[in-house]
Amino acid sequence: LDILPDRLAWYIAGPLIGLCVVALYALINERMGVTTSYRVVAQIVTRRPVQDLWRLWFFVGLAAGAFLASALRGGPRLNTDYGALGALVPLALLVPVLFLGGLISGFGARWGNGCTSGHGISGTSSLSPASFVATATFVATAVAITFLIHGLTGGDL
Amino acid sequence: MNRSSLFVGACFGFLITAAGLNSYDVIHDMLLLRELDVYLLMASAVMTAAPLLLLLRRLQWRTPQGETMVPRQAPARLNNLLGGATFGLGWAIAGTCPGPALAMVAGGSLLGIPVMAGLVTGVFLFDRVAARFRRTPSAPWSAPVRQTQLQSAGAETEL
Repeated sequence: LDILPDRLAWYIAGPLIGLCVVALYALINERMGVTTSYRVVAQIVTRRPVQDLWRLWFFVGLAAGAFLASALRGGPRLNTDYGALGALVPLALLVPVLFLGGLISGFGARWGNGCTSGHGISGTSSLSPASFVATATFVATAVAITFLIHGLTGGDL
Repeated sequence: MNRSSLFVGACFGFLITAAGLNSYDVIHDMLLLRELDVYLLMASAVMTAAPLLLLLRRLQWRTPQGETMVPRQAPARLNNLLGGATFGLGWAIAGTCPGPALAMVAGGSLLGIPVMAGLVTGVFLFDRVAARFRRTPSAPWSAPVRQTQLQSAGAETEL
């Protein structure tokens, strides 16, 4: 099956993602954020009491939806691709780099009380001052660091 | 409640992959300002959700379980700035964030697994560090999560 376009246009995907935020508030009165789902996973892995079980269901749903979208694109296909970063960095180095990137963003997202979905989309949608500050900060930082990486790799990345 | 979150999660996951947000190159090009589509996507999501949330709040919308809907608002604090900058660093390195990392793995990208393992570890580490600092009173970098209600004239709340 290969019926989904390579990239759904932003003006279709964006408003629909906005409706996801509204739906989660309208149905269960919760802010849509993914980092807290990782927290539930961490609670399960470390065998601590799980708070907010709905976040685990949200996580499972997210995986199922992404799987479905891949299936409509002829996948899912097991692969070790990682775009331009994968083309430049050997696999043995890429795995620890990606783990570190994940670790730093997981720590930062909990510290700042939200990530790109929790603050960047949901929090700003409810006009929360904390979310505007966090979103402006992480976008500005990520752009600056990406330009730094671009310079340090001589434009390869 | 769990059925609702499963359904909304599925829609969100579908859209993440459909829009290509699970691709390193898409996020990297966004952060290099080579392509503005993802910024436009985020802005259009917010511009769709914000007026609808204001409207539902004004209507004093209740969830199927009878809870009054209250979009969360929190005052800006130092932890939003410091945590945001830390998150931005990790985001730039991995070229992905928590939702898209899971979408990567669900689509067969094995290298999403170390990112997800890192995310779980980072989240766990923060909770450990925060628990330690919480014993130190009034540390500004461990500001407590405070959620206040959306200011809406005369609306009653049940939170």
